[in-house]
Amino acid sequence: MTATEGFKRHGDHSYVAHFADSEKEVLLNLCEQIIELLAERTDHGHEDPLAAMVGITSHDSPPEDEVLHRLLPNAYADSVDASEFRRYTESTLRGKKQAHAISMRIHLKSSDDGIVDLDHDNANAWLGAINDIRLALGVRLKVGENSNEHLEILSPDDPLRGVYAVYTWLGWLQETLLSALIDDADEDEESQLGNS
Amino acid sequence: MVKTADKIEEEIRAIFSGDTPWVTIVWDDPVNLQTYVVYVFMELFGYSKARATELMLQVHNDGKAIVSTGSREEMEHDVARLHEYGLWATLQRGDQL
Repeated sequence: MTATEGFKRHGDHSYVAHFADSEKEVLLNLCEQIIELLAERTDHGHEDPLAAMVGITSHDSPPEDEVLHRLLPNAYADSVDASEFRRYTESTLRGKKQAHAISMRIHLKSSDDGIVDLDHDNANAWLGAINDIRLALGVRLKVGENSNEHLEILSPDDPLRGVYAVYTWLGWLQETLLSALIDDADEDEESQLGNS
Repeated sequence: MVKTADKIEEEIRAIFSGDTPWVTIVWDDPVNLQTYVVYVFMELFGYSKARATELMLQVHNDGKAIVSTGSREEMEHDVARLHEYGLWATLQRGDQL
């Protein structure tokens, strides 16, 4: 099996990639991990079922785990406002992020030949999920703004070297899907201009 | 007369509270790809590629950019959508920038 060439546009609003078995395994594994990580942040035994039903959680402070904190950031600089907002919205945000990863997992699992064919909405879910995985890996790898020298010089037997390779590969994969999507959007924009 | 006074008072209250615009700010992040940030701005706000690219570059070069303006509720909605797609966003009152 040859390595994937990434996503290609296939007609209008259809984006196709062909993954090798090993690549599919890696992607599935990462999806599982992000789903599990988000599930760790449960709404621990909320005493009010009505509050739980409308998505109000007992969480009013950000996660202590650095990765979860990056995935579920504060919406306000002010800590009182941030807590209030979190109480009402964090559970919804977690649900949406899980839904993105679950959607990606379903596409991969239901593809026997490694071919994944996404429409526009699916593609957005994949982008969101891949991005969350990259954010999670990026926090663990301590990816910096200017230099990633510490990652370039990892020794071959350092497990982080493999993680960095996956992180880089995911960035490339995300880029191929983005360029297919932006191509499409460009054409739509042009045809709208033509119509007006 | 009383009615007029009430109206004026109401008007003044509106000026000082409800009508203050809020802003959504996106902060620079070392992980998110530039192309991804451009795409998210196009997708969530309906911005043209040129406008989205301009905002992305502002985030990248200045460390942050105001990406939308409106009521507090609208900005909370925008921030929630940006968080869904992994961008680092906050909202604040426009007069406290």
